[in-house]
This record gives sequence, C-alpha cells and structure tokens, in this order.
Amino acid sequence: MFGYVNIDKGELKVKDYESYKAVYCSLCKTLGKEYTFLSRFLLSYDMTYFAMLLMSGEDGKLCSKKGRCRFNPAKTCNYLLKDNTQEPLSKASALTVITAYYKLRDNIDDSGFFLKLPLYLLLPFMKAIKKKASRKYPAYEKICGEMYASQKNAESQKLSIDECAEPTAHFLAEILSVEAKDDNEERIYMELGYHLGKWIYLADAADDFEKDLKKKRFNPLVSNVSAEREEALTRADELMSQSLCLLTAAHSLLCFKHFGDVLDNIILLGLRLRQQNIIYPEKGKRK
Amino acid sequence: MNKNPYTILGVTENATEKEIKIAYRELAKKYHPDNYEDSPLKDLATEKMKEVNEAYDEIQKMRKEGRSYSSYSSQNAYSGGGNSYSSNTSNTSGSYTYTNYPEVRNYIKSGRLYDAESILKGVPADNRKGEWYFLYGMIYYRRGWTDQAYNYFRIACEMEPQNQEFRGVFDRMNSQRSYSSPEYRRVHHNSECSTCDICSAICCLDTCCECMGGDCIPCC
Repeated sequence: MFGYVNIDKGELKVKDYESYKAVYCSLCKTLGKEYTFLSRFLLSYDMTYFAMLLMSGEDGKLCSKKGRCRFNPAKTCNYLLKDNTQEPLSKASALTVITAYYKLRDNIDDSGFFLKLPLYLLLPFMKAIKKKASRKYPAYEKICGEMYASQKNAESQKLSIDECAEPTAHFLAEILSVEAKDDNEERIYMELGYHLGKWIYLADAADDFEKDLKKKRFNPLVSNVSAEREEALTRADELMSQSLCLLTAAHSLLCFKHFGDVLDNIILLGLRLRQQNIIYPEKGKRK
Repeated sequence: MNKNPYTILGVTENATEKEIKIAYRELAKKYHPDNYEDSPLKDLATEKMKEVNEAYDEIQKMRKEGRSYSSYSSQNAYSGGGNSYSSNTSNTSGSYTYTNYPEVRNYIKSGRLYDAESILKGVPADNRKGEWYFLYGMIYYRRGWTDQAYNYFRIACEMEPQNQEFRGVFDRMNSQRSYSSPEYRRVHHNSECSTCDICSAICCLDTCCECMGGDCIPCC
C-alpha cells in the first residue's frame, strides 16, 4: 500500500525535483537517527508527501546543505537544515515506523506458513521501534491501531467497496486532521485525507487484483464487482477517478508557503499517472 | 483582512493586464462554485472565490486611478462587482420546489448525517420513493461512500426520470467518475515565437512568393 503517492517526474522542474529529493533524503536521515539504521529501509514516497505537507505551512525559509548518502557514498544529497523542519520530519518518521509495523502484522496474517516464519523474525525489531514512535506520538498509534482492527473486520465480513475502504480513508483523514492549524484547515484535511486514503486503498486493490485472485486472498473488487479483470478494473477506475476529483478539489483550497509546485505535481499529475499505469498497464508504464 | 490583491492573484505589482487576466481565470477555474456543488467544503470555496473576485476588481480600480498598492490607503475596503465571475445559480438545496423531508435536508446541509439517516431509516419500505433514495444517496456522498451514493442516485433517477434535481446530481457523479486531472499552471515565458517559428514562416513566405513569380530569398 506504499509508493502510490508520488511525483510525475517528467513534468517536474529540476529545482522542484531537487527540493523533493531533499525532503526524501532528509526523511531517510531522520529515520536513521531516531530509529536505527535499519529503519531507513522503511522509507517511502508516501511519507515524503506527508512530510512535505506538514512543512508546506512553516514560516520562514527552508534551507538545505550538502552531505553524503549513507547507502551510496559516491552520491551527494541535499539535506534540509533542522530549524523548522525537525518536527515535521520526526512526525513523518514516526508514522513510517508505526504504519510499517501494522503492514507487517497484516502481511503475517495474509501469508502462508513458510512465508510467515521470516516475517515473524522481523516482528520484535518492528515492535520495539514502533513502541518508541508511539511514545512520541501516541495519537498516531491510536489511529493506526484502530485502522488495523477495522480493516481486518471489514475484510472478514466481505462488505461493500465503500465499507472496505472506510478504515484506510478514515485513517488518513484523522492523521491529517490532527496536524491542522485551524478549523477550516481541519475540514479541508479531513476531506483530502479521506479521499486520498480511499484512492490508495482502491489503487492497492486494483494493483493486487490478479495476485489476490490467484492466491484466493480477499480483494474488494473481486467480492463486489467481478472476477473478470476488465470489469473489476473499470469500476476501480471510476471510483478512483471520483476520489481523485474530490481530493483535488480539497487540495486546491490549501495555500502552500513551500513545496506548492511539487504538491500540485503529485496531486494533479502523479496520482493520475499511477492510476493509468495500474488500470492500463498494457499502454506501457511511464515513470 | 486586508491582503495585497496582487499576492492573492499570485502576480507581481508590475504584471501586465494579460498576466493578471490569465492568473484570475486560472484561480476562477480552480475555485469555481461548480467544482464544489455537492461538496462539504462549498462555503470555503465560495469564500476563496469572493476573495479572488475582490482582488481582481481592486487591481482594476487601482490601475484605473493610476495608483500602486503601496500608495493605496489601507482603509479602502474591497468592493465587489465588476467583470468578475459570479457563482452559478444552481444549488442542490435550492433547486427543489417541494420536499417530503425538509428536516432531513436541513440535517444534511448542517452536516448532521446520522440524524438525517435515522429519519430516513424510519420510513416504511413501501413509502420509499425517489426523494428517499436521493437523500440517502446524498448522505452516503457526504460520508465519502461514493459507490453507494452513485447506486442510490441512479435508483432515484429511475424512479423519477423527470426530476431535474436528481438528474443534475447524477450527471455530476458521472462526470466525476470520468474525471481527468486539469493541468496545473505552468510559467509561460514572454516570448510567443521561437526561432524555429520565424524561420519556418520565412520559408513559407519565400515558397508562396516563388509560386507567384517573385523570390523572397534568392538563395533558396
């Protein structure tokens, strides 16, 4: 369920791509610093988007300095300076770790016996770093925990597509609304978060359609629409388009002091590109 | 709140008339009430649209009077009207003439979806006509359950095909389902003609000249 919220690189200006990479690299650095080196492997584009959204309203300039990449010492990265970026990066790191823990739990539940074993080996480490993140940001742990339980419940009862998507949609709406600075922003974040969460859920369902069908795992498109790929993905496309329309409308009401162009690129172009690649893979993937 | 109207439109104080018009049109397209017709954020969009309209009118007024923003008195309030976009007259709650469920409509409008739903749930099954399905669809839509909402709107239209309110909302659902993202604003540089455009135009001119017996460029 990660990696869908990303840029359309070909349509991004170089300076904006550099600032996007600076957030990505800074998030990697923060994960390493706050939750051990291994946590850097949990880095995702979705959390980079979350970090940028949090930083977009910060007062003052955002500055960066050059440094070496931990994974590739030959590469130079831009890292954001701490001043007004420390807290957003810390929040995004905590959310990365907490969601990764629940994702692991979910994978263990869905896996067969032999795949479960190596996943169980990761569990103590993930639990330990999740505990640290939860102490810093207990609201995130509460929201994630509730989402995990509701999602399990909805999928075991084989409810409608809307009801299955509700836990993920509600989760992202709550996470964003916790970060809102005033009532109006909270309303916009709730709407944006809800439909973005729903879009992500549907993207994941559409992307895993064939795999789930083959392995007889639960998929809301199979249980509510059809086991035929074309019919199921057409409905997914319609629902994703509608969620995209609604989240774009919410996004348009936000004012960004930083990263406005990158955030516009992600919402207006990146999501649409990802959707096209999932629904119509035969047209050839553009990155 | 007295913000700089140029900041609101996202242009500099020495922007040309054309740049201001382009900026205004793009913002008007973004915040147009039609994009937020059934949205719970409609009031926020209306406020933004009003702010943009006022900023545009203010700039026109300042330029007509030959003043810059810094010399403009801060006591001057924005005044509306002028050539700006006005909101579309269609409005979900205003376009019906008669309703069997005025309380339900008010609850939906004020965001009290559970209260609206509990009234509708109390209606016996054989009394559930088009408006019942329409309002239940609206509750689902406001909740974010777009798939359920679509089904209920479709049933409402099938039950009362002549009802313009139901048809209007159902058509909007269909257009949202076939939504493709607008292009975001790109910065257009001032040059409207590239060197290639000029060269091609001269070559075409030379060809036409030669057809008519002349020769614009002797060497080709």
